[in-house]
Amino acid sequence: MMAAEHDVGHRLIALLPNMRRFALSLARKPDLADDLVQQACERALAHAASFQPGTRFDAWMFRIIRNLWIDRVRRDRTAGPREDIEERRDLVGDDGERTMEARLTLASVSEAMELLPEDQRELVVLVCVEDLSYREAAEVLGVPIGTIMSRLARARKKLAELTGITAGSARFPAAKE
Amino acid sequence: MATRFDDETLMAFADGELDEATAAAVEEAIGDDDTLMARVEMFMETRARARAELKPTSEEPVPAALEAAVREMVESSRKASVAAADSPTGRVLPIDAARRKRGLLQAGTWQLPLAASLATAIAAGVIGYQLGSGNGPFAPRLVNASRTDIEEALRTLESGQERRLPGDGRIRIVASFRDNNETLCREYEVDPVSGNSLVAVSCREGDSWETRFAVAAPAGAEGYAPASSMDALEAYLSAIEAGPPLSEEEEAEALAGVR
Repeated sequence: MMAAEHDVGHRLIALLPNMRRFALSLARKPDLADDLVQQACERALAHAASFQPGTRFDAWMFRIIRNLWIDRVRRDRTAGPREDIEERRDLVGDDGERTMEARLTLASVSEAMELLPEDQRELVVLVCVEDLSYREAAEVLGVPIGTIMSRLARARKKLAELTGITAGSARFPAAKE
Repeated sequence: MATRFDDETLMAFADGELDEATAAAVEEAIGDDDTLMARVEMFMETRARARAELKPTSEEPVPAALEAAVREMVESSRKASVAAADSPTGRVLPIDAARRKRGLLQAGTWQLPLAASLATAIAAGVIGYQLGSGNGPFAPRLVNASRTDIEEALRTLESGQERRLPGDGRIRIVASFRDNNETLCREYEVDPVSGNSLVAVSCREGDSWETRFAVAAPAGAEGYAPASSMDALEAYLSAIEAGPPLSEEEEAEALAGVR
């Protein structure tokens, strides 16, 4: 038990940059993201023993961070009617004007990410940046693997479009070979 | 040709997530189909770029305040666990304290090393036994409540909540978790008017709840089952590879699915 906690402590500190990156993809404000990470670490230490050895520690932490985030979003909206997180596209905006602008200037990936809905943004971070498998991502997000795949494919097509990676990227200068 | 594979399949190919047979089929197809090849490359390129740009770098260090706060947290949790281990009752206390304080069984205790034979014996002895059915060997004396009343409580109460049963007993939900088949299970305690309490685990089976585990336990001082009967429960939970207790939100979601 003690060894497990000891271990969790070390791993938490090593994982701070990744946790912060993921939290930022959800909260988008640095102070809010830091808050989220801190809260998640607190929770992880309190439940250190429930981490299953042999499974991915980072996936476990991402799941905690995400649960805390959903919790917070729900609490902030207690006055309003309940909506599914999936339907909250409006909050993160598919703003026509910004999309247009980005298209003209060929956005960087970070800029393009800002234009994606939250559920796509978090998934790109989990799979493309943190190298979680589809199955691991499905577990973190609590959705079926089919949903993961269609959502991630949509997100990446949009990213490609916004950053100028065309379907014929073999001819795109930035693409290698 | 290109229509043979959808975006998801091509993406999974780019990510190395396809099974061998499908991967081989895609590989063969892209050999003489530039459009298909370009679509695969698009997925490879988005991943590579996202990774290159978004991977946390030293240029964007973790704020010192955050790191300090987490380090301090780790340190104090380490001290606390050392203190608990030093105390003679340190190994027992956390379970009990956690149950009392939060109405939750501390997840870590489920992985305590236990005699496998004990776990198997208990599991074999109680599977199929239906709480409140009236046919079990000791069910009628233990609980007067009908199965419907208990199922109703399992379906509606949150962990930590307690309800009076029509038969004058009480039911208290301790925690929700999922077993190794991802089945939703609830651990709970039933207090009859007099006599032994019952500590039980029921899991969702189709439209109803099946009692998977039940053990009689003399009621403790605060009405909570004493630690000794918890050993049997833990042996059982460990045997079914019970997952950690669901968080409030996970539980709410799971219960919404069975209501």
